Amino acid sequence: MQISNRLTGIGLAVLGAAAAYGGSLLPPVPGQQVGPNVFPMVIGIGLVLCGIAIAIGVGSSFEEPEQVVAAEDGSHVPAGQEAPVPHAALKTVVPPLLLLFYAFTVDHLGFIPTAAVMVAATCFALGGTWRSALILALCAPPAVHLVFAKLLRVPLPPGLLPMPW
Amino acid sequence: MSTFIEAWQMVLAPDVLIAILLSAIYGLVVGSLPGLSATMATALLVPVTFYLSPIAAIATIITASAMAIFSGDIPGCLLRIPGTPASAAYTDEAYAMTRKGQPELALGICLWFSALGGVFGTLSLIIMAPLLAEFALSFSTFEYFWLAFLGLMCATVVARSSPVKAIAAMLLGLLIACVGIENPAGTPRFTFGSTDLLGGIEVIPALVGCFAVAEVMRAMSVPEPPQLERRKFGSILAGQWKLTKEYPKQQARGNIVGIIIGVLPGAGADMAAWVSYAMAKRFSKTPEKFGTGHPEGLIEAGASNNASLASGWVPSLLFGIPGDTITAIAIGVLYMKGLNPGPTLFTEKASSMYALYIIFMLGNIIMIPLGIIMIRLATFILRAKRYMIMPVIVLLCAVGSFATGNNLFLVITVAAFGVVGYLMEKNGFPVAALVLGIVMGSMVEQHFITSLIKSDGSLLPFFARPVSAVLAAITIGLMVWPLAVWLYKKRPQGRAAAI
Amino acid sequence: MTELSRRHLMAGAAGLGLASQLASPAIAQTFPVRPITLVVPWGAGGGTDATARIVGSIMEREFGQPVNVVNRTGGSGVVGHSAIATGAADGYTIGMITVEITMMHWQGLTQLKHDSYTPLALMNEDPPGVQVSASSPYTDLKSLADAIRANPGRLKASGTGQGGIWHLALVGWLGAMGLPPSAVPWVPSNGAAPAMQDLAAGGIDIVTCSVPEAKAMLDAGRARSLAIMASARNPQFPNVPTLKEAIGVDYSVGAWRGIAAPKNLPAPIAERFTTVLKKINESKEFTDFMAARGFGVKWADGAGFAKFMAEGDAAMGVAMKAAGLARQA
Repeated sequence: MQISNRLTGIGLAVLGAAAAYGGSLLPPVPGQQVGPNVFPMVIGIGLVLCGIAIAIGVGSSFEEPEQVVAAEDGSHVPAGQEAPVPHAALKTVVPPLLLLFYAFTVDHLGFIPTAAVMVAATCFALGGTWRSALILALCAPPAVHLVFAKLLRVPLPPGLLPMPW
Repeated sequence: MSTFIEAWQMVLAPDVLIAILLSAIYGLVVGSLPGLSATMATALLVPVTFYLSPIAAIATIITASAMAIFSGDIPGCLLRIPGTPASAAYTDEAYAMTRKGQPELALGICLWFSALGGVFGTLSLIIMAPLLAEFALSFSTFEYFWLAFLGLMCATVVARSSPVKAIAAMLLGLLIACVGIENPAGTPRFTFGSTDLLGGIEVIPALVGCFAVAEVMRAMSVPEPPQLERRKFGSILAGQWKLTKEYPKQQARGNIVGIIIGVLPGAGADMAAWVSYAMAKRFSKTPEKFGTGHPEGLIEAGASNNASLASGWVPSLLFGIPGDTITAIAIGVLYMKGLNPGPTLFTEKASSMYALYIIFMLGNIIMIPLGIIMIRLATFILRAKRYMIMPVIVLLCAVGSFATGNNLFLVITVAAFGVVGYLMEKNGFPVAALVLGIVMGSMVEQHFITSLIKSDGSLLPFFARPVSAVLAAITIGLMVWPLAVWLYKKRPQGRAAAI
Repeated sequence: MTELSRRHLMAGAAGLGLASQLASPAIAQTFPVRPITLVVPWGAGGGTDATARIVGSIMEREFGQPVNVVNRTGGSGVVGHSAIATGAADGYTIGMITVEITMMHWQGLTQLKHDSYTPLALMNEDPPGVQVSASSPYTDLKSLADAIRANPGRLKASGTGQGGIWHLALVGWLGAMGLPPSAVPWVPSNGAAPAMQDLAAGGIDIVTCSVPEAKAMLDAGRARSLAIMASARNPQFPNVPTLKEAIGVDYSVGAWRGIAAPKNLPAPIAERFTTVLKKINESKEFTDFMAARGFGVKWADGAGFAKFMAEGDAAMGVAMKAAGLARQA
């Protein structure tokens, strides 16, 4: 998702201002000349300056258009000229949503079912067939579970489908 | 001499050799998985070392960490997802080489110069340990402040984008580093009442989100890139000797910088890679080639991060002061096994010390054959379909970040950074600069504030202490230099216009 | 335990007239039937982690069930401590709690306190030492104390972050000498090791951290330990006097580690744990391990541990208010 420089610049400046303001509210600490408020304020002001500079286009001359290497010989194609993917915007948010799904359900469903859903959904969204999604969902979660829970002793929740090991 | 033979006997014991081999494979695999770092590989080994003999226990840590730092380059090179923070500095470079059809060259560079760097680092450990330790002990917070500041400046050098956006990305990283209570004042900042934010945002989930998750997100919106042509994968080591001869200066500089940064407590392989890559670019005759798949920066940074790993053991072994996060864990294991760090380790337990040196050497030597096998196996993913690889990466991101603290909040952090990383990348902000800011943020603040407390608010010691003065001069020089060059270039035109 | 005494115990429980308690000893007899999770609120490789792992490995043998040590890090220890407190009180989730539990609630970081748990056993305590650089002009604690009195605010100390246990040890010591916290300003650091390094680099004058944390630098001849803030000398450092011996100030403090379970753990299970932990605490394997790392072994059973924490908590409250670290409620 490409946002105009003006908008990102303003966004950064607002974030910087909020950080500087939030920082300025922090109480000083006895025995320290420079309190916890100074760093957020310095960084915040820096962000405001950078944001303004970006919004008015300073330094944009250094930027190179995003390129996608398209061929074996390394020739570049400007971004955005490839064939479009259907529902691209919708699919883009799939990975972070799946991670959130994992974080909130793994304790209830258990690792294997949650992981299977994640793997199958990602595979399908990337254009895999139902068959490949199913195969991956059946194989990948137990394999990952074996390595992490058994060999590395990471406590993955058993949930509905405890593994035999 | 008898201690030396004794040391060999210790290393050649079957349990130690098996431990080295298994931990080498383990390190290679864990380091190469996106979402799992070298530090985590070491941390996950701690329970295992509990059941091993002392030499075998230390051998697993030494071997696994060296392997993981190298193999962190593999996913960076093949998928543009760095396996460890130390690889983040040059991931784009390595990936560009792969897309140019030279994955074997890129991975060969990472392997060959990592191993060489490791060997040089070990030699420095053997020959100059007391001298280096002396140097490390002369660093106080004033010096560290300048060092951290220098590290931050690498953001603008490394990035191939607008310097303003690079600085903005770095500042964003610094702001993220502000979150939590781990600041000099011990005051909760920007935690919004959340317990999970109290400890701050850690580098690993941020790195995993910004690179791995963002890469999967990008894959969702673009069609599958053309497959690399099916052909016999070339020799991995071919051409490395030529590169070694072609770039001796870069390599030597990488090794030296790596050793120096590694020996300083608190600054480890991550910072070594950044500084070396930035130096390679700054001193290069062809800086414009950087970022397009040019070997120079890879050589210097690849050598540097592995060299720093070995020299990081110097303060750990002599004074029990960790050089980086990996040796911090290793010190715990040393104590657990009765090899208490300190000068007595070098006198009373000299044979154990020699055994450690031998293991370092062995580890870096077997890195080459095992690394080649690993690279051969890993390159299969270049041929695999994207929809078979990416789902596993998403799963590994979740499990790997969870494993760093056994805390599900880390998975949420990864998701958030995935979105941030994706948006930044799409809008021309270098993600690597954000990671640098998070890595270095607390260091800059910590050392600045503690220095001021020590000097009762005076800024003078920042410039008065000898080492500090040198570092200050370098820092300020580097800041003023581009400005001076710019002004110098402008001058003749200005004069021409005036006349 | 003989059959007779067990029956005796059961009769005693029945005598209390609580039917619910009748069933519990039966549980305690068979406990545990599945793996136990031992939560550590700090990262792998640290001192707490090492102590927990040795305890866990001996416990595994005693119980004949796996004991999984799990590092739950984050939130400066708050996340792990709350994971222990909120676990199911069935004996299958226990944890190693540390001195920070008596400090964090004063800072307003959490609601959790020492009484949010079923204390099972205190296993270790390490008092801080007063360390100076080897090149420092102060060779005994008295000359150092005189220098602090003569020039308040000139000497700087470090050892951990702002408001950490060693910071409060310093404040408490100064308080016991009748001095305000500002007499020796605190330089926050990321732990004892960097502080010891800065001591050697000449950046600071005093480090108050536990003697085992300073051991490597002491052995290297880079630092000197002038005294320890304990009621008795450490047998591993017999030449280091206590505060009382050195300057006649009676003050002791320490960083401790103990095993605790979620609140309302059934008493028979708690007793079972305490019996096993007592055995661990006295085992040669544990004492040898702790001696090798320089850690002090300390013992208190559930009730003793509860009392120990309550006293420590009150003392921390006083020190933290004096240092301006407690959040004014």
